[in-house]
Amino acid sequence: MIEPPIPEIQDEQNSQTVIAPEIVTEGQSPPDVADVLIVGAGASGAAVAWRLAQAGFSVVCLEQGRWINPALYPTKDRNWEILGRHEWNWDPNKRGRPEDYPVNDSESAITPLMFAAVGGSTIHWTAHAPRLHPSDFRVKSLDGVADDWPFTYEDLEPYYDLNDLMMGCSGISGDPAGPPRSPRPMPPVPLGEDGKRMAAAFERLDWHWWPSDNYINSVAYQGRDACNYCGPVGFGCTRKAKSSTDVTYWPEAIRLGAVVKTHARVSEITVGSDGRATGANYFDRDGAIQHQAARSVVVAGNGVGTPRLLLMSKSDAHPNGLVNSSGLVGKNLMFHPYSITSGLIPDLSETWKGPMGNILMCQEFYETDSRRDFVRGYAYQLNRGTGPLATALGGPHEPVQWGARHHEDFAERFGHIVTMAGIGEDLPEEHNTVTLDKQLTDGNGLPAPKVTYTLSDNSRRLMDHSVKMATRVLEEAGATRVMANPLLRAGGWHLMGTARMGDDPERSVVNQWCQAHDADNIFIVDGSVFVTAGAVNPTPTLQAIALRAADYIAHERDDLKG
Amino acid sequence: MPTSDRQITHTDRVLLARVMDLIIPSDGDFPGAGGLELAKDLERASQRYGRLRSGLLSVLDALSLDIASRIEGGFAALDEERQIASLKTVEADLPDQFAVFVELIYETYYTDDRVHSRIGWAGRPPQPEGFDLEPWDPSILETARKREPFWRGAS
Ligand SMILES: Cc1cc2nc3c(=O)[nH]c(=O)nc-3n(C[C@H](O)[C@H](O)[C@H](O)COP(=O)(O)OP(=O)(O)OC[C@H]3O[C@@H](n4cnc5c(N)ncnc54)[C@H](O)[C@@H]3O)c2cc1C
Ligand code: SF4
Repeated sequence: MIEPPIPEIQDEQNSQTVIAPEIVTEGQSPPDVADVLIVGAGASGAAVAWRLAQAGFSVVCLEQGRWINPALYPTKDRNWEILGRHEWNWDPNKRGRPEDYPVNDSESAITPLMFAAVGGSTIHWTAHAPRLHPSDFRVKSLDGVADDWPFTYEDLEPYYDLNDLMMGCSGISGDPAGPPRSPRPMPPVPLGEDGKRMAAAFERLDWHWWPSDNYINSVAYQGRDACNYCGPVGFGCTRKAKSSTDVTYWPEAIRLGAVVKTHARVSEITVGSDGRATGANYFDRDGAIQHQAARSVVVAGNGVGTPRLLLMSKSDAHPNGLVNSSGLVGKNLMFHPYSITSGLIPDLSETWKGPMGNILMCQEFYETDSRRDFVRGYAYQLNRGTGPLATALGGPHEPVQWGARHHEDFAERFGHIVTMAGIGEDLPEEHNTVTLDKQLTDGNGLPAPKVTYTLSDNSRRLMDHSVKMATRVLEEAGATRVMANPLLRAGGWHLMGTARMGDDPERSVVNQWCQAHDADNIFIVDGSVFVTAGAVNPTPTLQAIALRAADYIAHERDDLKG
Repeated sequence: MPTSDRQITHTDRVLLARVMDLIIPSDGDFPGAGGLELAKDLERASQRYGRLRSGLLSVLDALSLDIASRIEGGFAALDEERQIASLKTVEADLPDQFAVFVELIYETYYTDDRVHSRIGWAGRPPQPEGFDLEPWDPSILETARKREPFWRGAS
């Protein structure tokens, strides 16, 4: 993969070295009228930019964040754990960078987590890369709940494969829990002693397990180094061994002519009197309002940022917010509720070694089973131990006790923790919403999103079941103490459903090609379009959907080319 | 309610060193958090992050105002058992601030090199060296591969 020459400059605002946006786009100035204007340079925006630049469209992306030099991630700093809790916190409210918008989550059982930069939330993600199951696209037909998707697993499969190649997938085919997959581009990341121990425990219980598909380099791939098992993947990878889109799709997209404007916060997608998009207004880094004209707009701001922007973009043609004639923009917010069950296994040590969320999966309880008291199911992702400070602070559990028992409690945990993260399928409910907050604003005075979310009874039962089963397998593996958190509050990594897709314009916002029912040149390509959530991490799916939408534009929408 | 602007005084520092030793006591011959003289680092960390500073000041103020210690002539005049009781009272009265206070002490203690070598941490950040793992060995899938596909068809 060819990387553009990206010299480093000093960023006055944050006195950090960054990659200069002006230099990334050297030789290319944004066209006056772009064929395609993308809002958001994260997981989905990057995939669309690459595919459409490859198909000869002029592509401009507006991103409120900046380029981040991978050498500056905190894992090289002796205070890496402190930086990770503050400047690099997963929660934008705690991080509070100027490019972040705050989120009012006071009425949500789960805190949304995200990052603003070229690469979006993949800067922070742990790159666990499973796929939805065929049944996930047919939950109404199979289980009588929610809705079916307007396409099938088979329709998406070639795009999953393409995305696996572009992002770089480590794994191994043959998993009996899902349909056969093409050979993975790289072998699995090693399991480690903790992974092997748990694999044996799963087998004794006759439960499924399989090494995770990960977008982490188990060997050097496309000019990026192999992982050296340093551990805290969620703070950014200094070796570029973790595939964030700033080091995968974007260099290729830029080589093909795409332009990224950073520090560009879109305040409104503009429309003509016919209701079709004409471009976007944005605040530049000096706070001045600019306009970028375009023949089409692709919104890729994530499941919170996208409905926020659509709701901010009211006009005569779209009085309830852009492309919101269904009234469903911002509704049906889904997270994956997470239960966290950790076992302390005395004869394992140094469980902090290896990428933290990327060992193996168990999908024994994935599908609906009429013998259980909930519909749909959950998966487990096996996670590792953490560094000394995170261990002391407890992470998802109570902190290590202060006082007389402190050292004993710490010693029991440190290096001996193995964690089963239960990822539950959240069903869409209209009362779970993203709306515009009436008081809270971002640095440009734009309304912040407000997230309102309650956990359904079905999800609660499902989470309780996941804790019970996790306890069983951890004890089977030799855990002498188990700590359980049936609902992780700071676990809103996955943002879905807030501009859902479907065939019926009254019951959905976009069609199966991610094209808005209300305007044929507006597309939404991020997790907002998910009809249901499945019980696996969503990013390979949302990137595959984005690539499929891009191919629709490339093949069917020559009219958008200047 | 204290503000994050208040200066930390000499009296605060004396109190803090004692309280740090109660939160993370000595372990055999290894000193507690107060004995390691980490109070300066803690103060510096609290200056950087406003949330931590306000937690620190709230707890220090609450401890000096705690009725038991006032009757006895201050926190330092209490015996250890009553000092712990006083801390527990403040923890119950100000749970959020106390949690932040403990967080600040843990942040300072568990990022100290002497503590790292004591607990067996590498004594360096994770990068650039990383760690070692045994290479991937496909034979571990021998049993898992035997299972028949069990995913649910969608048609
Ligand atoms: C800590 C963490 C761990 C995760 N781990 C995993 C994992 O292991 N596996 C997995 O599948 N998923 C994981 N995720 C989720 C994953 O990161 C997201 O699903 C994915 O990045 C979403 O892609 P996106 O394109 O929808 O949005 P994002 O990647 O969030 O990108 C959206 C971009 O849009 C920009 N933007 C928004 N609004 C505006 C505006 N008005 N103007 C300009 N720019 C704007 C934002 O700044 C951002 O850069 C994790 C997330 C986090 C936070
Ligand atoms: S564990 Fe591997 S992928 Fe993760 S940050 Fe470290 S080197 Fe990068």
